[in-house]
Amino acid sequence: MKPRYSADTWLALVGLGFALLVIFVWVPLDTGTGFVEKVRRRYTIGDALGPTVAAIVIAVGAVLAWLRPAQSGTLTRKNLVWMARLLALFALCLLIMRYAGPLAAMGMEGGYRPLRSTAPWNYIGYLLGGTIMVGGLTGLAAGRFSSRDFVIGFACALVIALLYDLPFDGLVLPPNGDV
Amino acid sequence: MGLWDHVIAGMLAVFQSDPVLGVPITLLMVLGGFLLGIAVGATPGLAGPMAMAISLPILISIFGYSSDALLPVLGFLIGIMKGATVGGAVPAILFNTPGTPDAFMTTLDGYPMAQRGEARQALRVAHFSSAAGDTFSDVVLILCAPFLAIMVESYLDLPEKAALLILSLAFIATVIGKSVGKGIISMGLGLFAAMIATGEDFYPRLTLDQPALAEGIPVAAAILGVLILGEVFKALEDIHRGAQGPRAVPRSDETHHEKRRLGLRRLLPYIGRSAVIGTCIGALPGVGSTLAATLGYTSAKRHYDRKKASGDREFGEGAPEGVAATEAANSSVSGANLIPVLSLGIPGNAAAVFLILAMDSIGGFNPGPSVFQLGGGIGDDAMNPEMVLAFGLFTTMFVANALNWTIGGVFMRWVGVMARVPKARLLPIVLLLTLTAIYVQETSMIAVWITLFFGFLGYIMRRIDMSPLPFVIAFILGGNLEATARRAFAATGADPFFLFNSPIALTFIVMAVGVVAWGIRKPAS
Repeated sequence: MKPRYSADTWLALVGLGFALLVIFVWVPLDTGTGFVEKVRRRYTIGDALGPTVAAIVIAVGAVLAWLRPAQSGTLTRKNLVWMARLLALFALCLLIMRYAGPLAAMGMEGGYRPLRSTAPWNYIGYLLGGTIMVGGLTGLAAGRFSSRDFVIGFACALVIALLYDLPFDGLVLPPNGDV
Repeated sequence: MGLWDHVIAGMLAVFQSDPVLGVPITLLMVLGGFLLGIAVGATPGLAGPMAMAISLPILISIFGYSSDALLPVLGFLIGIMKGATVGGAVPAILFNTPGTPDAFMTTLDGYPMAQRGEARQALRVAHFSSAAGDTFSDVVLILCAPFLAIMVESYLDLPEKAALLILSLAFIATVIGKSVGKGIISMGLGLFAAMIATGEDFYPRLTLDQPALAEGIPVAAAILGVLILGEVFKALEDIHRGAQGPRAVPRSDETHHEKRRLGLRRLLPYIGRSAVIGTCIGALPGVGSTLAATLGYTSAKRHYDRKKASGDREFGEGAPEGVAATEAANSSVSGANLIPVLSLGIPGNAAAVFLILAMDSIGGFNPGPSVFQLGGGIGDDAMNPEMVLAFGLFTTMFVANALNWTIGGVFMRWVGVMARVPKARLLPIVLLLTLTAIYVQETSMIAVWITLFFGFLGYIMRRIDMSPLPFVIAFILGGNLEATARRAFAATGADPFFLFNSPIALTFIVMAVGVVAWGIRKPAS
């Protein structure tokens, strides 16, 4: 059965909805000045005009996509599942990257903060998170997880960490600028 | 100071840069970038812009933000840009897998040549044609960019410049991708993203009171997210779904196959025609090298059908003329693409986006009409440092060309092995490297999350066949467009019709509407 609405029609509806939301809700509530402002007795363009014009451009594009739909790809359920898998993997990796170092240093005096620029502490989060990211992504793409991919992931994370950390004193690896 | 003083100063800036192991650092950087570019181009799944994106934060970490950093960093990026164009032909010829999208047409004749045992000849033809097309394009760039910039500076005032930016964005949104509507949505999203937390009021607009957005969207995070991560997510899913076809392996037994003598002189008309086509296409912002390669190939095919002798092979069956036409066309885009960058400050393709990002990040060089102003707006005797840098940049391009002519062909034959690196292993490493580069530059996990957000946006755009390039270019130009419009509005005494009062500005606006109308009328593909 032919779907009632094409992918471009859905895109147009989403685009139009977003543009209307920006023009009538977001811009009025979230900008400091209007379309035109009078400053020192001279008129200048205010902060609301630019985003409104951008939203109008989106709306025009949406209308054109609606009127002239093209044979094009669409976002399928499989794509959404793939995005959810990626998002879950990234959330896991970045959480590990962020908290592995502080957890490992819990028993140390003063915690992780004084140690965050000292080897091996500064590598713990990055190596763990990076290893899982590379190994996990390779496994997701291949459809099966193998220890070999995680070993390659560890080697890559180590090389990248050393590439940044050894020659440059001023650079910090993730997540050491945040902790 | 006259023009020649700037030319000589630009060349000296390259050849007298700080030496490392006795060699000027800028020359070393061009060499490094060029070799890396060939390797990257020869690796299916990687592309020049990807390598430029990953290299940029590392280069900035090495060289810092001083004006002395500009030429080594830009030299490296230009080296990558040129190397990747040449390298893209390697897997196209050897494995029937284009290393870069614009090398697809190279597979049509390059791979059949390899199957006939003529892989080495095919690579030589590709290298010669690519180097010739690239050199021609650079000459045109050097001749055209300064004059175009001077004309723009002489004839265009603020309203006309605002109108020209609108025309450029309309053109890019219309010609890239399959659907005008989607191109315009992509452009609108880029403009909108550029507006977040910018503006003149003390309150950072459109930030939803989120401190994470108060500083605006990091430029590198948005661009790398949409261009690199989006592509990585899509490519990994394609591998997951088995969309990557089995890799063809060429027959390498040359002794059992016909060997043809390579007549490079016979190829010159095809190379010349394609170089002109590629240069014209490249000078238009947004029109990519893939179209140039297609036009170069089809034009050569028509010419070949008229001229070929009875024993000659058909196009698509291993005609060296097909390889030559394609490679000359796609390589001649790279130099010409910098014409709008240097003369107007408008990036025309992804590689140009990263060059502008480098100039923007380091500072001291604002591409646009003022670059080629003698005296730099100070006085007739003053040296314009931006013009010196521009000629330094041209010098690095010719250094890269010289490397291409001398060692490019040899290195090209060595990197054939790169095509065997599995994408499923390579792309996650690229992703980790990109996220690390973003973190090192921004020192915030929020920037990493923002990059991932834009990565998913880029992925969705690719899945629905919406080109991410108008988004990126509008994101880069959005601030400039708004600032120019503000100044034009103020300069014309708050005239709301400032875009329509001058004949030139009005012409640009009419052309912008016309190009969109033309895009709508052309058959949807």
